[in-house]
Amino acid sequence: MLKVEKLSCGYGGKPVVRELSFTLSPGQRLVILGPNGCGKTTLLRAVTGILPSTGLLELDGRDLRSLSARERGKKIALLPQMSPPGFSFTVWETVLMGRYPHLGRGIFAAPSAGDRQVAEDCLKKLELWPERDRPITELSGGQLQRVLLARTFAQTPEIILLDEPSSHLDLKYQAELVEALKSWTAGSGRAAAGVFHDLDLALSFADTVLLMDRGQAVYLGDVKGLDPALLSRVFEMDVPAYMRASRERWEQLGG
Amino acid sequence: MRKAGGKCLALGLFAAGSLLLGVGLGSVSISPAGIFSALLGGGDEGIRALVLGLRLPRVVLAFLTGAALSVGGTVMQSALENPLASPFGLGVSAGAGLGASAVMVLGVTGAVGAFALPAAGFAGGLAAVLLALALARAFDSRLSSVTVVLTGMVLSLFFSAILDLMSAMNPDYAQRIGLWQMGSFAARGWQGVWVLLPVLLLCLGVFLGRARELDLLTFGDEQAQAIGMDPRRSRRFLIALVAVLTGTAVAFAGIIGFVDLVAPHVARRLFGAAHRRTLPAAALLGGSFMVLCDLAARTLASPREIPVGAVTALLGAPFFLLIFFKKRGAARC
Repeated sequence: MLKVEKLSCGYGGKPVVRELSFTLSPGQRLVILGPNGCGKTTLLRAVTGILPSTGLLELDGRDLRSLSARERGKKIALLPQMSPPGFSFTVWETVLMGRYPHLGRGIFAAPSAGDRQVAEDCLKKLELWPERDRPITELSGGQLQRVLLARTFAQTPEIILLDEPSSHLDLKYQAELVEALKSWTAGSGRAAAGVFHDLDLALSFADTVLLMDRGQAVYLGDVKGLDPALLSRVFEMDVPAYMRASRERWEQLGG
Repeated sequence: MRKAGGKCLALGLFAAGSLLLGVGLGSVSISPAGIFSALLGGGDEGIRALVLGLRLPRVVLAFLTGAALSVGGTVMQSALENPLASPFGLGVSAGAGLGASAVMVLGVTGAVGAFALPAAGFAGGLAAVLLALALARAFDSRLSSVTVVLTGMVLSLFFSAILDLMSAMNPDYAQRIGLWQMGSFAARGWQGVWVLLPVLLLCLGVFLGRARELDLLTFGDEQAQAIGMDPRRSRRFLIALVAVLTGTAVAFAGIIGFVDLVAPHVARRLFGAAHRRTLPAAALLGGSFMVLCDLAARTLASPREIPVGAVTALLGAPFFLLIFFKKRGAARC
């Protein structure tokens, strides 16, 4: 459904992502891995159309750049890295905003009963329904992250792009996030691509890995085919040793 | 729902009450019954002349100006996702003042003059806001609160200095410009009302039509764009319209600060952040607040008048400090 070929983009003439290619098929869950500053966020921004880019960017055979902002919003949603909100919308109002690309235009365009139902379902799915009347400025980082995820679901896109969606979540909600994304993509014709820093969480989420180093893809393929030695080289550390040590610390818990 | 209905009713009563107080109080006090009979063309002839010829146009212009500045402030804060932004703070008022003073000094009068003043106010306001945003963006592409507030402050001071220079060079107009710079609704007649009223209604209508866009803009460009809107185009249009609205208001009333900053905050606190509620609430709150400030301006030191801009600043400055430091305190923890 999504086809990215030789995509290049950057800031102020300085290239950050260089000639990168990948595809997303229905049901696929792609994780984008790589060290800080390798261009992961930039890549997501370019695919969403927030950042201008060169190269092929196609969704269902149509050039993504030719779509209007609204048309694009119906098909691709991005959950950006979180920043604290400045204005006190309620949880309900915030999630209902996800329906924006589906509303009519003009002064009388209001969310329909169907739009409200979608927002309600998304809130319930993420256990946020009891919080619906709270201002988002009063939420914890983790709660806000889930509210923004619910808004992304309420957008009912075909593809969700996620930029470090687990950064403010505790263990329980990290696991629930992965489950929610898995059930969202399973057998639905929908796909998700996300940047995760927690390697373990990344591997439990994804079926495909895009490993990036300095703006370029160094591995694109099945999770199981990812070579640990390659990971070590890209992250400039002994990744298998780190994971083993982590596991040993875990096994020593409780005496 | 019942709670929200109660709040709307309270706000409506507050607005109606402040209008009645504004028309009723002064050197001659008029009872609400006296006001209504004057409005219906009855009662004492002297009272009727006072109400219809002096008090009512003054109070209505004050209300419309307060509403226009507050609506402008609400939109500006959301469009720049910056709760500390305001048309006054961005130099719109000072720029509009400069434009309007130029018209006074050049002496455009008569039928053309009636429209030249608001037109010049609008042009000056728009030029100032564009300059302020261009400068702020040049220093800081993320347009952070501190940059926007500082740039606007420097530009406002700069424009005020040019205004001072203009009045010094044209002593005949010095007093008129000086008074105007401090803001006043004295002896403005109905002319301002008939120009400002349609501009306010039109702008408020457009802003309400774009209430959902404004909601999204408060989340920043990235999120707004990811949900399917074009934030840059939307922001340009909205800010230009804010300049039209506040420029027109300033052209009649002079420079009045802080209402545009304070009223949106109070409106959000009472009615939430969703613009379809915040905008009308800010209009009613700002309008009522301005009527009460003007009432204070003309009665506290009677028979002398205090400039209404001084009253709004006396009340608004401490409030500004409160939200500024509260915000910084919150950012620290």
